[in-house]
Parts: sequence; structure tokens; C-alpha cells
Amino acid sequence: MTRVAERPKPFVVPEYCKGCGRCITSCTKACITMGTEINPETGLIPIVLDLSQCNGCGLCFDACPEPYGLRPQGEEAAFELLDPSTVLGPRPFDAPQPEPRPDTSVPLPEREPLIVKGTYAAAVGAVLAGCRHVFGYPITPSTEGAELMARVLPELDGVFIQAVSEVATVNMMYGAGGAGKRCMTFTSSPGFSLMLEGISYMIGAEVPAVFVNVMRGGPGLGNIGPEQADIKLVCRGLGHGNTHAIVLAPATPQEMLDIAMLSFELAFKYRNPVVVVGDGYLGQMTGKVRLPRRMVEPGIPEWAVFGDHSHRGNLICSLNLSELGLEQHNVHLNEKYERMTAEEQRADLYRCDDAEILLVACNTPAQLAKGAIKELRDKGLKVGLFRPITLWPFPIEALRTLLDRVKRLVVVEASSGQLEDELRLALSHADVLPPPLSHVRRMGGILPSQDEIIEHVLGLEEVR
Amino acid sequence: MSTSVFYHQFERHANGEGVNAHSTTYCPGCGHGLAQKFLAEAINELGVQDRTVLVSPVGCSVFSYYYFDVGNTQAPHGRAPAVAIGHKTANPDSIVICYQGDGDLASIGLAEIVSTAQLGIPITVIFVNNAIYGMTGGQMAPTTLIGQRTTTTPKGRTLLAGQPLKMAELISGLDGPVYVERVALYDNRRRTHAKRSIKKALELQVAGTGFAFVEVLSECPVHLGLEPEAAEDWVRDNMVPIFPLGVKKDTTDGAAFPVIPTARFDPEAALTAVGATTERPPRFAEEFPTHIDPEDISFKLAGSGGDGAQTAAMILTRSAINEGYDSTHIPSYGPESRGGTSYADVHVALKEVMSPAAPRPHVLVAFNAPSLAKFGPTVRPGGLVIYDSSVISARPDDLATEVRTVPVPFTGVAAELGAALVKNVVALGALQGATKVFPEETFLTAIRATLKQKCAMIPINEEAFKLGAKLAGEQVC
Repeated sequence: MTRVAERPKPFVVPEYCKGCGRCITSCTKACITMGTEINPETGLIPIVLDLSQCNGCGLCFDACPEPYGLRPQGEEAAFELLDPSTVLGPRPFDAPQPEPRPDTSVPLPEREPLIVKGTYAAAVGAVLAGCRHVFGYPITPSTEGAELMARVLPELDGVFIQAVSEVATVNMMYGAGGAGKRCMTFTSSPGFSLMLEGISYMIGAEVPAVFVNVMRGGPGLGNIGPEQADIKLVCRGLGHGNTHAIVLAPATPQEMLDIAMLSFELAFKYRNPVVVVGDGYLGQMTGKVRLPRRMVEPGIPEWAVFGDHSHRGNLICSLNLSELGLEQHNVHLNEKYERMTAEEQRADLYRCDDAEILLVACNTPAQLAKGAIKELRDKGLKVGLFRPITLWPFPIEALRTLLDRVKRLVVVEASSGQLEDELRLALSHADVLPPPLSHVRRMGGILPSQDEIIEHVLGLEEVR
Repeated sequence: MSTSVFYHQFERHANGEGVNAHSTTYCPGCGHGLAQKFLAEAINELGVQDRTVLVSPVGCSVFSYYYFDVGNTQAPHGRAPAVAIGHKTANPDSIVICYQGDGDLASIGLAEIVSTAQLGIPITVIFVNNAIYGMTGGQMAPTTLIGQRTTTTPKGRTLLAGQPLKMAELISGLDGPVYVERVALYDNRRRTHAKRSIKKALELQVAGTGFAFVEVLSECPVHLGLEPEAAEDWVRDNMVPIFPLGVKKDTTDGAAFPVIPTARFDPEAALTAVGATTERPPRFAEEFPTHIDPEDISFKLAGSGGDGAQTAAMILTRSAINEGYDSTHIPSYGPESRGGTSYADVHVALKEVMSPAAPRPHVLVAFNAPSLAKFGPTVRPGGLVIYDSSVISARPDDLATEVRTVPVPFTGVAAELGAALVKNVVALGALQGATKVFPEETFLTAIRATLKQKCAMIPINEEAFKLGAKLAGEQVC
């Protein structure tokens, strides 16, 4: 090679040299020696170059661990930051501004209603919401969702991956969601517990995704019967840190579809995970499900780490070593939670207009309560159902308007009082003094029965 | 040597001010800087900076996103390979790199790295093994050598603390990876080679060939308590005998990983995929069966697992929905559902099903005596009990007197047809014959739809249904 003479020799900015000396042994011409003076800027002793013997072999560049340590001469001109004191000026990343690629709403031709199970309906909703990335780990009673996705997604060139665990599952979602894709999983209580670490990271890094948790009996391995004992977890315990996510509780197969679609919209609106909780009953319930007339073709959000030119400057990260910086980030997250609380409360009111006794229930227990209300109304009792659709934020505003007339609240749930705790917290935060409150509860994989609800209401002092 | 893949200024590092704007967080002499430099050069040389997504781990290299001017994601401890799968499947054109240390990859993240490697998805993993935990302050790593002192093996690692884990060998034993090599950084020759290996591992992803894994033996002078030069010698003299350098696996001339698809959003395809059709099932009923209830009829079908109660219930639900009514079916849970029994609750409503449970059914179909004993007393006054008279000898005493019973030999009829499996369809026929909830043709249409994939079974099922309907109908009329 005749160009040997042009090979660049090294130069070093002392401030960027940590004095490790790895370059010293790499040099065959003994051009580099350890310095003797401490650099006042770094407190380290940088190396000293004597290039009289240098043949420009370049080995020292590959021995220097610092990106801006030993550098080829000739780069000084382009390397405008020789003087560390000049680096304080604004110097934006080279990366380009992301181009907006918005979602599009696509009309759907009319189809006959489906006759499907609740879990299946949620999967259909997700597909029509533009979800083509589903990750999961099989766990009863949520597996039908994963099974359906494994069958359907390949036909749409989507991806279903059965992960090695729920821990891996949630992290696949962290990756795909961070890349701006609509992704989801189906799981059940013990699996959801395993995902909490990742959910905390997703909330911290503002990554959207949808989790469908078909709750089963606990604690521990429990059983596969229907329970609602993850309400505390999804409303108050989404991993470590100041975390919240919108929690939606459908009650029918139709609502499983509708809410699955809504979940993706909310997840991306707020850049935050959304949790859909169902119970094993609802997941297994077959019913008539009407299809929407529009579907979503998702774009790529501006913040996504998609892996292309436009999004190169983006970062998905929950790490923030500056206490003030992290506090600011928490303030930002809390502002989001407040916006969710203000804008996303949802509830369904059934025969509440004249109700003096108000049942409060979600998921299948709400349907059982409706059955009970029908019988109680036949007996002339003014009973209604307040059904929170969002468990967090609790729809306190809708409830508040009813409380003037209500003489008794009865919380019907399949847990030791987790929905009631959410209700009481919401009442307390809203400074509302509630009417007398009682409950019908079952645990262990059993839902309260219609008869138990009726018996409880008939035994109330307001009724006797 | 120099590359624009590093940010010109590390703005994310302490706001990018002063010396920090151009210095890494790595201690003097740390091998991370070299491995990352080689990685940056490879990204640069292959021209994939825009497409690259770097997944930073937890550990000393947690701040990789300070330095690399590429798309960056910082992953939970050990989970980088799972995060990488998410990125790669989200955008198959992206070049996804997991950069992980020994605690991250070989300890807490073992399940993720092994399963991802076995999957073989084309990502590039750079595994930096320096035999110690750096960031947390010198604790034992899974790759710590026997006898090596760390803060959690103060007298040196013994067999009680386990033996060093040889990740390159472990990963190379899997089917998924196409390229696995262990390299080092302790002298010019190893560095030049390490650079080439890292570039090759990246090239294999650019070409879509498959999963590539490069283990880099690296120096941690601070926690080894050695000067950087001595740390290089330590790696050469102590690590290399336990972690031999070289290519552990190279099947890069084999078949490439399948092409990861890019999702489609065609409305027709989506509807077809979820099973939606334009076929409106024919209606045969003239009105809601108000002779049973004006607006909401509940059924319970109860038997043992294998009796087919759930399938019969599903066909009933389908029949009702086909007739334009609302209907639900739930397999029954609760304490009574233990022990291989199988109960189904079905509602058929004029407008909307409220409670899907059937605690007081209008109609009970009992496939065996225990089911009849359990649910018979729950049937509402004026209701109907249809039971398998092949296995239940007589009407139980505790049934309310105003509950009618219709005994039909489900099992016997099915046996005569030579297909024991169709006894649930005999029962369904009996349900129709006894209740006239919908016309026969409604059910037969639903049965045919249910058996679409097993056409050969349709005639015998139709016959079973008709026999059941006839035997029950004769008793009711």
C-alpha cells in the first residue's frame, strides 16, 4: 500500500483521557507514556504523546476505551469541541425530527354478529383496533385469547410469540410497544403478578400496551375459578413507584370487544399501559357480539423507537439518576393520572333513576346483580346498579349525582372487599359522606349468586 | 477509529456539560469502552445507524444510550433479549442489538437469553464478561472464577458458590444461533479480532441470517484491584483458560431465519380472520317462545365431563342468536363444578340477557342422577326436567309437584344409533321436543353449522336430534 504515509497519527485532548494507559502497551514504537501531571479538570493523569517515532499504525486508537480519547489527527478541525469549556453551548442531537404517521380509521363492511366467548371477543376487538403483536404465556382461564391470536395473526402477517414466561412476555411488549406498535397479552392472576416489574418500567418509560387479566382464585396458585381479587393490584399496585393505569372492567362478551378496542385508544392517548380485568366466568361466557363498522390502521407515534431514520433520536427509558429530574418526571406522570381521572371515568347505570338501594358491582357480578334487580323490582323495591367500567379512575362523578336519593350502597364482589376499598377511597377523596354501606362477597373462585344478593337486600333495614 | 455513531456530545450524561459531554461513565481501563467503540464502528461501517435499536441493560453499561446516536431502549435487568424480540418483530427492518453484562445476561436474564437464542431471531447480542459485578460494587458474577475474591465471596469463590458459567459454550449448544464466538480485548491482536467478530455478528443480522452472540472477555480493573495493564494480563492468564477464545458455533451457511412478516390491515382479511361472515342464518321461529317466559328463559344442562352438555348448550345458544334473540352460555363454575362434572347455564332473552347464571332454570336437562338430584329442586314451578332415562330409573321424590318431567333414554337412543357420542344431541332433540322453544329446523341448522368441519357426522346427528325430539314430543302432547 502506497498510502501508508497518509495514515493519521493520534492526538489527545487531555480532558478526555482517563489515563488508563491501555494505549501505552499497544504502541510498538513507544510513542506514548504516562503523564506526570494531574489534569485539574478531571483529577486524572492523562497520557503524553511523543509522535517522533509514530508510523501511524493506528493500534492505539483501538486500545483507547474512550470515544473521544485518542483520535486521528485531521479530525481536530471537524471536532469543534477541543476545548471542554466550549461544550456548554446548545448542541442538539443530529437525529432528525420524527415525521408524524397518524392512525387511520378504516371503514368495515357489515358482517353478521359473532357467537363467541368473552376472551375471544377481546381478541377480535384487539385485531380490529390494529393490534398485530401479541405475546403471551398460557395460563388458565385466559388461554383462549392467546390460542385465537396464534391462529388469526399469521393470516394478517401479524406476530404471536409464546414467551418463556410472563416476565419475558411483558418485556416483549415493552420492546414492541416502545417501537410504537399496538401490542397486548392475555393472562390470569398469577401471570399478571409476574408482569408487574415490566408494567412499572412501561409506566415509567411511557410505553403503551394492553393487558387482559382474566382474574382467577388466589392467593398463590389458588384455583381457576372466577375471582376479582386483583382489583387492589391493578388499581393500587402496578409494580414499584408512583404507578397508575386505566383499568377497565367489561361485563359481557360484547363489552369485551368494545373495551378491547377502547383500551388501545386510551393506551396510546396517554402513552401508558391499560389493564382490562375480567373474571373467569366472563372469559368463558359465549354470547352474541356485534362487530364495529370501523377498524384502525395504526401509524407510528413520534416518540417511538421504531428503528428508522425518522425516529433515531428517540429513547425509551425509565432511568433518571437526577432526583430532581425524576421528581419532575413523577410530576409529569401524576399530571397524566389526573387527566385520566378527569376525562376517563366511565360507568354504566342500570335502573338508577329512582333507585334507593344501589348495588355496586363490575364484571360478571354486575350481570348477576342485574338479574337480582329484576327480581327485586318485581317485589316493588327500588333497586339499581351502579357499574364502574373504569375501576381506576373510579367513576365517582357519576356516582355522586345519584347519592342524594340513595339510602344504601351494597357492593357485590368476588373478593374480600377490594372493589369496596376503591369505592370508599373515591368517596373519601371526593369528600362525600356516603349512605350506609354493606356488601355481598364471595371468595376463592366463587361469584356471589343472584340469590345471595336478593337475600342480602331483602334483609336490609331499609327494606324490612 | 472515529465514528458518528457516537453522539457528538453526551447530552444525556449529566446534561452533557463539561468533560462529561465527551467522556463515558466507565472507569479508566474498562473494557466496555472498547467493546462499544468496536460496536459503534461496525454500525457505522455497515451503514445501519438509522435502523439500529440498541437495548441497554442494567449494569455498568446501563448508560449506553448516552453514547450511541441510534434508537435506544433501556431494558429491565436481564430482559434485554425479550425487549429485543419486541423491537425486531415490531420492525423487521430494524437492526436490534442487545448489549449485556454478565450479571444481566448470565444471571438474572438466563431464561430470556437462552429462549431468545433458541428462537434464533436475527438480533445481535454483545455479552461483556468481566467475571464480576461492576455497578453494584464488586460482587460475585455467575462468571466469577473459582478462587476469585469478590465482596460476596470474600475468601474466594468456592464450589459452594457454584462454578463459572460458560455462556458462549452454553449458547452454542442451542439450535437457534448461527454464530457464537468468544473474543478478548487484552492485546492488539485480540482487539483487532474482536472488532471483526462484532462486525460479523452485526452483518449476520443485516443479512437476516440469524441470531449472533459474541462474548467479550473484558477487564474491570477497579473491582479486580489491578492497574489496567495488569487487568489485561489477568484476563489473559486467568480468564482465558476457563473461557477459551474462539468460534463456538458457525452455521452461517445454513438456512436463514424465516422472514418476519409486516402486518397487514386489510378490512376484509381482518374480518375473515376473526371468523365473521355475511351469511345471515335463516330464521324459522315466528315469535319469542313466550309460552315458556315472556322475555328471558333459562336452561341448565348438567352431566359429567364427556356427556357433551357444553356442546349441546352451545348449539342452543347459537340457535337462539340465529333466531335474532340474545343468548348466553357459560360453563358453570362454583364448588359444584369439581370432580369431573360439567354444567352449562344458558339464557335466551327477547332483548338482553341480564344474569348469565341459571340458579332457577325453566328447563333442566340432566344427564345423570347426581345432576338431577342437585339441580332438580332448583327448577322453577311450572318448569320442566328432561332426563336420561337410560341411567335414571325414576322421577326423584323431591321435585316440586308442579315441575313436569320428561324421561328420554339419551344413552339408549345413541347406542342404538351406534354412536354413543351423540347422546347430547338426543338430549338437545328432547329439549326441543319437550319445550318447542324453537322449531326443529332452527336446531338442525345450528347443528349443521357446528359440524361444518365434520360433514360426515351431520346425518347421524340429525337423526339423533329427531329421535330425541320425537320421544319427548310424544310425552308432552
